[in-house]
Amino acid sequence: MPFLTALLPAPRFLTPVLLALIVLAPLLAAEHTVRLDGPVFRVSGGPARCEDFAVSVDAPGEIPALNGTCAAEAGGLSFRPKYPLQPGLRYRAVYRGAVSVFEIPKPVVAPSTVVDRVYPSSATIPENILKFYLHFSAPMNRGEAYRHLRLLDGSGAPVALPFLEIDQELWDREARRLTVLFDPGRIKRGLVPNEEVGLPIRAGGKYTLVIDAGWQDAAGLPLKQEFRKAFRAVESDRIPPDPKTWTLTAPAAGRREPLALEFPEPMDHALLLGLIEVTSRAGRPIEGSVDVDREEMRWRFTPAEPWKPGEYAIQVGRTIEDRAGNTIGRPFDVDVFERVEERISRETVPVHFTVR
Amino acid sequence: MRLVTTFTLLASLAVAAVDYSSSLTQGKADMKSAGSLAFGPDGILFVGDSVGAAVFAIDTQDRKPGKGSGTVEIAGINEKIAALLGTAADQILVNDMAVNPLSKNVYLSVSRGKGPDAIPVIVRAGHSGKLEEVSLDKVKHSRAGLPNPVEAKKDARGNNLRMDSITDLAYVDGKVFVAGLSNEEFSSNLRSIPFPFKAVENGTSVEIYHGQHGRFETNSPVRTFVPYEIKSESYLLAAYTCTPLVKFPVASLKPGTKVMGTTIAELGNRNRPLDMVIYQKSGHDFILMNNSSRGVMKMSAENLDKFEPIKSQTELQGVKYETIAGLKGVEQLDKLDKENALMLVRNDGGSLDLKTVALP
Repeated sequence: MPFLTALLPAPRFLTPVLLALIVLAPLLAAEHTVRLDGPVFRVSGGPARCEDFAVSVDAPGEIPALNGTCAAEAGGLSFRPKYPLQPGLRYRAVYRGAVSVFEIPKPVVAPSTVVDRVYPSSATIPENILKFYLHFSAPMNRGEAYRHLRLLDGSGAPVALPFLEIDQELWDREARRLTVLFDPGRIKRGLVPNEEVGLPIRAGGKYTLVIDAGWQDAAGLPLKQEFRKAFRAVESDRIPPDPKTWTLTAPAAGRREPLALEFPEPMDHALLLGLIEVTSRAGRPIEGSVDVDREEMRWRFTPAEPWKPGEYAIQVGRTIEDRAGNTIGRPFDVDVFERVEERISRETVPVHFTVR
Repeated sequence: MRLVTTFTLLASLAVAAVDYSSSLTQGKADMKSAGSLAFGPDGILFVGDSVGAAVFAIDTQDRKPGKGSGTVEIAGINEKIAALLGTAADQILVNDMAVNPLSKNVYLSVSRGKGPDAIPVIVRAGHSGKLEEVSLDKVKHSRAGLPNPVEAKKDARGNNLRMDSITDLAYVDGKVFVAGLSNEEFSSNLRSIPFPFKAVENGTSVEIYHGQHGRFETNSPVRTFVPYEIKSESYLLAAYTCTPLVKFPVASLKPGTKVMGTTIAELGNRNRPLDMVIYQKSGHDFILMNNSSRGVMKMSAENLDKFEPIKSQTELQGVKYETIAGLKGVEQLDKLDKENALMLVRNDGGSLDLKTVALP
């Protein structure tokens, strides 16, 4: 049985491949020794054959050997595992029956990741809200979202299963923004879950979204602190967004002042950023940057170059949503017996303006 | 003329027979993530890559019938896969499972790591219980990119946050059907991609509604689906994000059309169907479905063509189902052979067991 003879202190901020090793009782065959040289295991002490060498995770039972690239080299061999070694794990290297165990130190780092923002940002939210966007300050781990999310009612009791818990957690590529859908079956009228258990939140009620600190970021560390968003639920919103009700403030020519579009209700934060484009009259996109403020009721566009006099259009994607999933000309759940839906065949709806 | 046509037909059939491998190229299958799995013809494995916005076709070269006992049992398979990949069980995610209908070997899509830098891996489990990594570095493959339905816009930090998650895949009659769920807009997103993939073919998108069960309809995303034949017409049985089980004919899925599905069952609230398989037993057709909170359900798949769609809340009946006793924590389900299903079961200790269970 190998025993620990030395443990090098684990410095902060180490990459796994540069970690030092524990030297364990080398019951090595004759003159050969095994060491871990960054990401590479090296056998030295004389010619060595790859078929005599294997590395595996150090655990009981029949453990498969790691895949990797092995090459005989002068005075021994080198083995580079296919995947990076995992900090905190122990690996067993066996050369002709002799065992060496290496522990990869885990750097000690204080948690620093926090929840930056949650949208909708408003303090009142319609009871048929469709989704939350959670923005984190650093990339997060997948696979544990719903264990760390709770919705509490006014008495502090958790609301039972308010969210659509899906295996494919809806992260962005960087894993810094998670989209949390409320269970659409409880929101859409006429369905069994809606009829039997109803909306997850009810108008007039006070609620708190709680993101607990146990949620791990991509470095495997918990959040720095718990996050809470308190809000009050108001009546359902079944009115589709209507561009006729939006207020446009056209900028003056010759300057880079922002073009502003204001809405009578908060809109979906992500779709405000993604589904609105400014074009020339001829349809040529105008370069610039977008910001959203006033609780997602104002969208502003600052052009890269000063405005030139002329005709422009703001092209709004037809699928832009308000907080309840209503899109232009189409409520979230269409009443097919009293259909008021206005068929819109275009993908975008233009809002024209003139710069003078 | 008829003779010529016949020859042409034969020639095209011959071409079709070799097309699968000739459409694939040897090299590195550069996937960014490995999620939903589905087998196509001739040992071709389709892998959904949500992060890379693509579907990969991988030639597993695994076409020989298996020699094992006919059952596969691997206790603690997540721990064993983690060890194979040189890491710990809490550092991997097992995303999906599919049985190769030819060899009956089991394929699992795995993330090594849980953050945005997780490495996609495909693992094969044989009947002997042996696990091995399927090489993605030197493999015959092809890739079909999924077009972003919304032009990619970047946020203030220069990132495009929008992403479609591929929630399910199936191969039906020469097409790969791909169900997607966006992390931004809430809408149906079912694409069909002809296979072999063509360089220019990016798939087509169809809007699917399921309005025939009540007064209200929603253009809702499909989460999981399974192909099925009713009187020699191909259907998809689909579970939506907001209601359980809907059928629609494959032939109706034409690009740019609005398709109405027929709700055939609502399976109770606070429950999500996870996977479905169709099987025959004693001359009758059944659907087996594992669920998030209501265990494993069995229901008759017969008379689906005769079934009257649910038209209002008060008429709600739907296909009857029974819950199979003793099956809990089933996270993945696929058909192993005519008599058996393969299940990935979360046991009380929190680890995953791969189990063969006789079809009920």
